[in-house]
Amino acid sequence: MPGLAELNHFPAALLLGVIVLPVLFVPALLLFGNRLGRYTGLLALLAPLASTVWLTCLLREHWSSGTVGTAAIEWVPFLGINLALVLDGISIFYGYVILGVGFLVCGYATFYFSRDEKNMGPFFAYLMFFMTAMLGAVFADNLFSLFIFWELTGVASFLLIGFSYEKRTSQLGARRALLITFSTGLCLLAGFILLGQQAGTFVLSRIAAQGGTVLEGSGWLAPVMLTLIMLGAFGKSAQFPFQFWLPGAMAAPTPVSAYLHSATMVKLGVFLSARMFPIFRDLDLWLPLVAGVGFATMLLGAFLAFRSHDLKEILAYSTVSQLGFLIGFYGLGGSEGVRFDLLHIASHVFYKGSLFMVAGIVDHAAGTRDLRFLGGLGRRLPLTAVAALLGAASLASIPLTTGFISKELALAGLGDLWAEKGALALFFYAAVLLSAVMTVAFALRLFVGAFTGKEPADNPFHPPGFWVQLPPLALAGAALGFGVFPGVLGEWLDHFKVPGLQDSASGEVALWHGINRELLLSAAAIALGILLHGWARKREWHWNRVLSLQRLDRVFDRSVDTLGYVAKRITLALRADWPPAYLPIVIFTLLAFVLSAFVVHRAEFGEFVNTERLFDPWRSLVAVMVCIGLFGVLTLRRWTAQLVALSVSGFFLTFYFVLYKAPDLAMTQILVESASVVLVLVLIARFSTGSRAGTRFEFRWNAKQVTRALLSLGMGGMATLLVVFAELNRHPDPMGYHMLALSQPLAEGTNAVNTILVDFRAFDTMGEITVLLIATLAGMGLMVHYKREKGTDRSAFAAPGFLLGKRPERKGKSE
Amino acid sequence: MTKHTDSILLKSLIQLVLLMVNILSVYVLFRGHQLPGGGFIAGLMTGISFILLGLAKGWEALGKNLPVDPMRLATTGVALALGSGLLPLLVGGEFLTQYNWHWEHFPMLGELHLGTPLLFDTGVFLLVSGMTVKLVTVLVRSSSGLAPFTAEEERYYASILEEPIEDKARRREESDGL
Repeated sequence: MPGLAELNHFPAALLLGVIVLPVLFVPALLLFGNRLGRYTGLLALLAPLASTVWLTCLLREHWSSGTVGTAAIEWVPFLGINLALVLDGISIFYGYVILGVGFLVCGYATFYFSRDEKNMGPFFAYLMFFMTAMLGAVFADNLFSLFIFWELTGVASFLLIGFSYEKRTSQLGARRALLITFSTGLCLLAGFILLGQQAGTFVLSRIAAQGGTVLEGSGWLAPVMLTLIMLGAFGKSAQFPFQFWLPGAMAAPTPVSAYLHSATMVKLGVFLSARMFPIFRDLDLWLPLVAGVGFATMLLGAFLAFRSHDLKEILAYSTVSQLGFLIGFYGLGGSEGVRFDLLHIASHVFYKGSLFMVAGIVDHAAGTRDLRFLGGLGRRLPLTAVAALLGAASLASIPLTTGFISKELALAGLGDLWAEKGALALFFYAAVLLSAVMTVAFALRLFVGAFTGKEPADNPFHPPGFWVQLPPLALAGAALGFGVFPGVLGEWLDHFKVPGLQDSASGEVALWHGINRELLLSAAAIALGILLHGWARKREWHWNRVLSLQRLDRVFDRSVDTLGYVAKRITLALRADWPPAYLPIVIFTLLAFVLSAFVVHRAEFGEFVNTERLFDPWRSLVAVMVCIGLFGVLTLRRWTAQLVALSVSGFFLTFYFVLYKAPDLAMTQILVESASVVLVLVLIARFSTGSRAGTRFEFRWNAKQVTRALLSLGMGGMATLLVVFAELNRHPDPMGYHMLALSQPLAEGTNAVNTILVDFRAFDTMGEITVLLIATLAGMGLMVHYKREKGTDRSAFAAPGFLLGKRPERKGKSE
Repeated sequence: MTKHTDSILLKSLIQLVLLMVNILSVYVLFRGHQLPGGGFIAGLMTGISFILLGLAKGWEALGKNLPVDPMRLATTGVALALGSGLLPLLVGGEFLTQYNWHWEHFPMLGELHLGTPLLFDTGVFLLVSGMTVKLVTVLVRSSSGLAPFTAEEERYYASILEEPIEDKARRREESDGL
């Protein structure tokens, strides 16, 4: 790892250009979206292309293998929150994957949608928005900017899953994805903050440069940090127990599934594991947590994929499984670092991307994605069949594909681990082999089920265009090409090595390693997989019954609904629409807290030294007048009369402000008092004349009345106590005098109240007026509701309005 | 509350009162930075003067005769305040930096003091007056049997698909088995 001094700085704006370029296309896409229809995709295609060219030029100028370049644009410098960007191997690798697959997906989507498809502008705009967010996440060098971009990808994913928002599955899928990734994202934020506090900086490359030494002295906090951060990664990458959101996300159009939900966004968890590897790898928890969850998910995902029968669902669970492997792989990394991690990722991108695109084509051509109703498409779709064959072969790790190379290297790595960790490695070995067997089985089924055999009789075949078949073929071709010549890929990926993460000793990547244990195991897995496929085909009930594990999504939906139900129950129990029910609780809590604080701190209470300040003839007179007004409120009967008495108190309060020489306050008080009297009068007019006449207040010695009286007296007593306390414990140097003194020299105004409002604390005022506007708008929204109801069946005056609770009549009786 | 008052005194004097109160409120707004006053107080004064107008002339008439929708006025106010805060960014200052200019002998007017605080305060003034008028108008209309909104306004404040709030609650409760 180069020291900080060696970091090669470059103009941040250059890299920022790569990131924001896609989102700059959004206005054009929205503008021409309606006119161009699906061909908007050809315009969107230019964005990843331009970004790729830009990135490549940038790398030629400012980057050579291994060195880290960082650049920062200041945002909230005093909190260490900056838009910091980094150029290192892993970010560049991910950047190219995002842009490359993005390019292919834009092309694929253009010809995937039908000619008269609506809303193509927004679709590609979301896609560009996602691209920017994703690029930002991988190039981020500050924990906060990483988090923000991380969550933005979740927003984009939500929008894209919900693209066909009128479909119920889309709505549910989008909601699940959003809730899972955002709630785990919050854990991630907490973990990041802990990590940043521990390290003293939020700059990722600086934290990583210190490696495991960052955690020294953090004690029990380090495992907490790791758990929180990995929860974020598990949520994003659909690891156990969050695996169910990914199949739900398949409600999105297939280009989105191919792009977000297999090639890029769900890889963020893998990416994060790589970023966290140098920091946490020496922690005891690292291996059991990361590798344990990862490999368990790998097994679970393969099993669920084997039991599914929807093409996209199979691919989704297979993605879950593969992501489990990729994350678990980092969990196994030794002290020298990991090897060939990028190769595994690249291999997965090749075959999974192409298989998803194939699934989209099959869906369109045959009208269904259910393998039980598919067959014989090979003759009709030769090009797609070739792509599917290559993709499935790579998925099943058949020799001459990248999948095979990846599996060989993984098994070799595990073999080394056996020597190091002994029996613990057995579990990982077993997980990899078992899932390999099942993967071979469902990969075979994928191809055989859809492309060979008899065509179903009532197959409404609809031939796809030529161009839509090219992108999957390109990806599948890459899986084959690099599978035959793995050395090329290995050499290329060697450029992206990051010191501290990857093993610096470069291993040879070759097609033929001789006959060794790995090869034999691979061959055995393939053979067993074929047997498993044959056995399962004979007993088709396997695919006709849905596992309860696959119903975890239902459990989740149910619990989300239950949350709403519980919230409503609590709201009803607290009688939120009926102040006499909940106000006593609020007041009691307030009293309990404040009075107990007084009891605890009674030693600091001081003595009544300034008694002459507390008794002033004029102020006492005004106070008495205020009390008389309040007495009127208690004893008068008619609501209007009570209101007038209350406003008399209010106006006397104005006089009190005058005595304190606060004309601004006094004026405001008078005006607010007037306006609110009018408002309350208006509301009173909505009640029937009978209830408006009111009832005389009579005190009875029952529990309810006594409690209320005690609470009222307690409230008054507490207010008095607070005032006396404040008077006795004056701050020696109150803020107000500074404001008064600085008003003229700094704000050039002599009215300190106004200079505070519009100058010193203008930001507060800005917020307040915004809140006022929002509240008014919300009020308007409620009133629109009310009016419609009135228009339908009820008369104007008898309607119990929602504004004063639902039970005005009862209020009149009980009080 | 009746639709409009029977008091002849109020009816005949209302235009004069409206004029005077608003002259006063503009004066209060302008002098706010130096002497008691300011946007909030002036906004309330203007708002109340229009409530008075509504009481005298009837609320139906008030809605028809206002040249601008008060809600639009309120939004303009917030935009104005925000704009006056963003302005310093153009000349390199921080958000919400206020600038003042002082002339000892301004032609025709004599001593004059002007600054961006007035712009900000005008924003507050517009918001408070617009909000007061709108809220009171809508509430009064709804409680006196008039339609609180025009059809156009309904489209602004609620989606066409939304149903009345109590129907919605009732339907939800039924579906939840409550």
